[in-house]
Amino acid sequence: MANLLWLQGGACSGNTMSFLNAEEPSACDLVTDFGINILWHPSLGLELGDNVKAILEKCISGEIPLDIFVFEGTVINAPNGTGEWNRFCGRPMKDWVKDLSAASQFVVAIGDCATYGGIPAMAPNPSESQGLQFLKRAKGGSLGAGFKAKSGLPVINIPGCPAHPDWVTQIVVAVATGRAGDLTLDEFHRPKTFFSSFTQTGCTRNMHFAYKVSTTAFGQRKGCLFYDLGCRGPMTHSPCNRILWNRHSSKTRAGMPCLGCTEPEFPFFDLNPGTVFKTQTVMGVPKDMPTGVDKVGYIKLTAAAKGMAPAWAEEDIFVV
Amino acid sequence: MNTEAGKTERDAAFLARYGVTPAEAGHDMLMRMIEDMFAEGLVTEVEPFPETDREFSKLLDILRPLDANALREKLVISGWLLEPYGADKMRCQECMYYLVHKRWCDLPELNLPAKPDWWCRLWRI
Repeated sequence: MANLLWLQGGACSGNTMSFLNAEEPSACDLVTDFGINILWHPSLGLELGDNVKAILEKCISGEIPLDIFVFEGTVINAPNGTGEWNRFCGRPMKDWVKDLSAASQFVVAIGDCATYGGIPAMAPNPSESQGLQFLKRAKGGSLGAGFKAKSGLPVINIPGCPAHPDWVTQIVVAVATGRAGDLTLDEFHRPKTFFSSFTQTGCTRNMHFAYKVSTTAFGQRKGCLFYDLGCRGPMTHSPCNRILWNRHSSKTRAGMPCLGCTEPEFPFFDLNPGTVFKTQTVMGVPKDMPTGVDKVGYIKLTAAAKGMAPAWAEEDIFVV
Repeated sequence: MNTEAGKTERDAAFLARYGVTPAEAGHDMLMRMIEDMFAEGLVTEVEPFPETDREFSKLLDILRPLDANALREKLVISGWLLEPYGADKMRCQECMYYLVHKRWCDLPELNLPAKPDWWCRLWRI
């Protein structure tokens, strides 16, 4: 039996919605098959008010052993570092987060807000939001760069907007069943098992990427979304095209550019009209290259690929 | 050429010379129309090159409302050239919007035939 507590800070509840859609394993499987005892969750917990507070206090005191503390949303510090804008059970949420993290065997940040600050932490960041152990790419965050949970692991970050439900449940199961030692984390504390490959890995548009044929409008099935529509698949670490959404699709498969939501800088760009779903260029060359590719190499590759592209690459080959 | 009278006059000129307007013309006829315009001294707005995406989008905003017969305006605004451009010899062949087999610019706002060695300032790689 592993006790799990889930709290929300500056959040839209999107990761909770995602979590409740988990299938392998499902949220119910966590309880029935993997012995996870959900102490409290904002959408599932039966307790209210003082009874919730009592659970939290018992976790901090050690009366209830806290194995996994899951946090969704940013840690809000406004106004002026007090955290009073996000009070919960009689005190700022940031104080609960600090105390519960120190009391827990494992701390898991779910979603881009809890991991790196996400949308709430965008400039000018009026809520003074932080991720648990990062603010964008800068290590530190609310708990500090040196934080380690009782198990010795730092915060395990499962980014995404939202995180895929299976990423959440599989990591929780790994931790709850004593296989945390198998987890290796990257420099941004993401489990490598999910975040070493790219969103582009497994993308059905890879042929069009290779032959440099662009999608020029939403809904087109031909072409690659990287060249014109701002897709960040080639430089975003996620398994979105390996572990499919709803078991059969992904953003890029549905014709929607990857937004790069598993990277610390998300959301990218300045969100002015016309900039989000448009590949940012300088003198006609993409500002952000596929990871590991330089400008000279990219231009040479493009010239070669366009020269060798077969005729079918210019057609919509996905005929119903 | 923004007035209805102007458009009618323009379309009539195409019909008189080619027997067809650009909107109805096929690949080869459109190619001929473009080459004829340049042979007769058409000068296009090659500069400034849209260095940022925002500048690029502004050009698209100007092009988008143009009808398919506004061939001359499309060429002028896009800075169309019948030769490579710049020190790097940028050309349609390497452009993201260029369909090499169809010899066609697939940028929806242009949607015109093009030769591999041509170029315009909406070039992107």
